[in-house]
Amino acid sequence: MDKEKVIEIQNLTKRYPNGRGIEDINLEIFKGDIFGFLGPNGAGKTTAMKIMTGLIRPNRGDVKIFGTSVMEEYEKAMASVGCIIEMAESYPYLTAYENLRQFARYSSQVSRQRIEEVLELTGMLKFKDEKPKKFSLGMKQRLGLAAAILTHPKVVILDEPLNGLDVEGMIDIRNLIKHLAENEQTTFFISSHLIHDVELTCDRVGVIYNGRMLNVESTENILRNYATLENYFVSEVERNGRIPNCAG
Amino acid sequence: MAVFQIALVNELEKLYKKKKALAAVILSLAVIILGQLGVLGVRTGFGIRGAGNIAFPMLVLSVVVNTILPLFTALVTIDSFSGEFAQNTMRITLTRPASRFKIFMAKITAITLFILTILVLLLILSLIAGFLFNVSSATASDVLKTVLAYAVSILPQFILALGIVLIANLFKSGVSVFFISILGFLGFKVLGLVFSQYASLLPTTQLDWYTLWISNTFPLLKILRQFLLMVGYAIMLLTAGFYFFDKKEF
Repeated sequence: MDKEKVIEIQNLTKRYPNGRGIEDINLEIFKGDIFGFLGPNGAGKTTAMKIMTGLIRPNRGDVKIFGTSVMEEYEKAMASVGCIIEMAESYPYLTAYENLRQFARYSSQVSRQRIEEVLELTGMLKFKDEKPKKFSLGMKQRLGLAAAILTHPKVVILDEPLNGLDVEGMIDIRNLIKHLAENEQTTFFISSHLIHDVELTCDRVGVIYNGRMLNVESTENILRNYATLENYFVSEVERNGRIPNCAG
Repeated sequence: MAVFQIALVNELEKLYKKKKALAAVILSLAVIILGQLGVLGVRTGFGIRGAGNIAFPMLVLSVVVNTILPLFTALVTIDSFSGEFAQNTMRITLTRPASRFKIFMAKITAITLFILTILVLLLILSLIAGFLFNVSSATASDVLKTVLAYAVSILPQFILALGIVLIANLFKSGVSVFFISILGFLGFKVLGLVFSQYASLLPTTQLDWYTLWISNTFPLLKILRQFLLMVGYAIMLLTAGFYFFDKKEF
């Protein structure tokens, strides 16, 4: 049976004045996928994710979430999305609980118990009455993840979700992602420079280089042909290394 | 509408939790206390009446509409826009399932409610102080006029806030926005003095438009002209402010 298409990226192009950006990205992500978005620094991962969440507008192309265009019907498209883009930000003058309550108001399904549940899941319950200005990077990241999954989103877009987390935190978050994908059929779109973690977490991987999508493959297939995801990534980048920059 | 209400509640919570809103309330109280002490000092020291019970709230209004109220409005507006741009918390606000227009309008409504709260607080406290310390007769019509003067003062402050919103969406740094707003405010004040025949066109002159509402001969046409001018400013500033906010990339 065909899996339901959750995210559809069509001919996505964004050029910055400095010549960087993304060019003609096409992608399809299906229900329950944990999609790993790999690429070196400056390849265009964050740009693509910012367009997906409406923070920037593309020069061309579209992003559809459950068939709804992010550019045309933002509220409807984002109703089932949770995200962290670049850094897990939080309001420094609100407590962890109050920060989550700001997110919770947009969903009628989120109760006080649900806020405490996600704080517990991310190991932040004991800090719920503290303000994030005193939090470490890892704690802020955990709070950001709690916010991203709070409203039971069907799609979670995470840009470098493991930034600043210790080993224990990485394992916790990885298990949480896998649990949500398996049990709640949540679809994840994750970018990370921690290639080993992507290998352990994601079931499909896309490589972006110089603003262009090089390849999309299942982790299973990759590991059938390469010893590690890192070997595959290096091979893909080297093979396509001579691709001119999108603005070139 | 529900989405706008949620966005507004969130904005009000953020405003309430920030220290700036509390500082504004405390400073408003200080203005009343200092004003009242000044009136008492003038009366006991020089034997001059100073301000009667109903004149005191008007004295307070005449001072605050040109000083602390625009200052609070600027601080809160800059915090709501430039502050969130600088801290990257605007990303949290914008990635909620709410359109940019609703977020923008929620922020402006929260700022307007803040101005309204400060005006109501100043009105109540100055009326109480006026009646407690300056014993003389006041009619219901006097009280009504005072309430009217405070009520209509919100419109020019709203225009001022919209002007600052526009500046905040044009310049990156909150400090730059603050200084440009102050310079702009002073510039308009000077222009009003130099070209006094055109002063009524300036938004800074309109801060005192409440005086038209309480004058003995009710100048309906003047009020209407000023009102339409302010509506014009509001439409232009709101449109321009949203245009730049909507185009902004985060």
